[in-house]
Amino acid sequence: MRSREWFSTAFVMCALVGLSGCKSAPPPPDRLSQLIAKGSDLFFNETFGGNGRTCGTCHPAENNFTIVAEFNPALKENFENPALMREFGLILENLDGFADLKNTFVMRGVPHVLGLRNSVNSPGGPRTGWSGDGAPGDGSLRSFATGAVIQHFTKTLNRVPGVDFRLPTEDELDALEAFQLSLGRQQDLVLPLRLKGTVPKRGQEIFLDNKLGKCNLCHVNAGATANLGQGSLGNANFNTGVEDLPDQPARLTSQKVPRDDGFRTPGDGTFNVPPLVEAADSGPFFHNNAIETIEGAVAFYDGEAFNKSPAGLTLAKLDPEGKGIELDGTQIVAIAAFLRVINVLESIRQSIMLLEASLAVSSSAERARLLTRAVRETDDSTGVLTGGGLHAEAVAHLHEARRLADRALRSHFFGRKHTEEAIREQKKARAFLVE
Amino acid sequence: MTVRKFVVALVGTSALLWGSASAPSAQKMTEQFIPIGQSPGLSGKYTVIGKLQSVNAQEKTCTVAATTSATSDALNVRITERTKIWLDRSKLQQPNLEGTIADLRPGATVEVKPEGHQSGVSSGPADWIKVQVPASP
Repeated sequence: MRSREWFSTAFVMCALVGLSGCKSAPPPPDRLSQLIAKGSDLFFNETFGGNGRTCGTCHPAENNFTIVAEFNPALKENFENPALMREFGLILENLDGFADLKNTFVMRGVPHVLGLRNSVNSPGGPRTGWSGDGAPGDGSLRSFATGAVIQHFTKTLNRVPGVDFRLPTEDELDALEAFQLSLGRQQDLVLPLRLKGTVPKRGQEIFLDNKLGKCNLCHVNAGATANLGQGSLGNANFNTGVEDLPDQPARLTSQKVPRDDGFRTPGDGTFNVPPLVEAADSGPFFHNNAIETIEGAVAFYDGEAFNKSPAGLTLAKLDPEGKGIELDGTQIVAIAAFLRVINVLESIRQSIMLLEASLAVSSSAERARLLTRAVRETDDSTGVLTGGGLHAEAVAHLHEARRLADRALRSHFFGRKHTEEAIREQKKARAFLVE
Repeated sequence: MTVRKFVVALVGTSALLWGSASAPSAQKMTEQFIPIGQSPGLSGKYTVIGKLQSVNAQEKTCTVAATTSATSDALNVRITERTKIWLDRSKLQQPNLEGTIADLRPGATVEVKPEGHQSGVSSGPADWIKVQVPASP
């Protein structure tokens, strides 16, 4: 995965000229854009003198910055569990200390790193990682890379700086933070959207109904902040009972999967709220990758594990009738349909951004990489819609957009024409989803 | 449920959840492996680096004379059951280890992170203390 300049170029250009269009040549890179470009290079290429991993090893751009269940273990024992990593995309974390590596660890999924600008801050300080305490130092996103290098990049389990890895410099931490903050959405949605699909529209109503779906209490505007009625709590932690789910995939194996106690050591059982806009194409879901589908993830909140959890009981206390979350199958599917549609709207936004960026770059290599990325985003869009049996007309336009972007990729003379047509098709697809 | 009960439940719940949200969120586990003076966002801002002047193991206190500090010239440190003590053996190119109060000896170079993110504190409980193990002479 050498050289990801194209990726930073896309985001840099959008940061410079806005998301609506890149018709003219971008202005010369400023300090921020240089920082983002440097951060991108570090993210995808820098091993920090360790075992060969980069940040991009587990957060590949090709897969929405989250891991696929396949990569090579670099250390044999007490570093990773190859079986769980390969089958379920779970990685090993020593969040409760390094004193007993054989027995004290947790197995966690890899969260995507999109939309971090909207999902890290809370009044009590920044929240990173699945339990909100993923970073050493001051606990900030900027410091996260230092902890990641120590946990995941080490050559041996001694974890000696200067021997097993080198720690990121202050400048590198600045660049990595800038790059990560540049990824994905730069602002939260404002719900309700004027959706066109009957089922997604109903899903949005249920999502926003604080007496029925109650989703918007902890995922305001389908983001990662909570508001229980007294103003924003920022990005909060809750114990939603995910650890109490029966038949968790990893625990169905013969592998050791200790209970994950979440935030702090010893943990208080709480985990951090992720944003939902990016959810539908970035499963599996929850900190332990317990559920594969977005429908299953929504259904979790109708189940016993959630409704008997501290968070579930809290919602019941807030309810005038003392009810937790009670949804029927059609309502679960409707909420999931809504989440699928807002995910696709974001993927379309990114696709258009990438296509427009490809029109503005002079390097043919960068152009090809931007178009390739747009093709993958478009594949995400079609997969998410077809997976929910949604918006066949939009899917047809997305297929056409993909075909055109692919042709643009291969065409020496008509690349611009095909790219512009692909943008039009993306916009047509979007018009079927939202007014 | 009456409106009053609903409001009470709401306030109580918010307080409960707020308590969780406002708790310190830095991770201590990988902090152990970061050498003195290199903790991102903390060293030079919220920590005191200096020499241990005195240690009272019975009262679980120690005094640090700051050589590099953004907070104070001297720090009277209280060691609680929450305080982590780590032996920084990076100069020996050896893995850092968990330590105890017995590892705090006058003259040792230490970095102390007081609890909370407060500047200018001169005394209080420590979040963590790193003790430098010098390279062999």
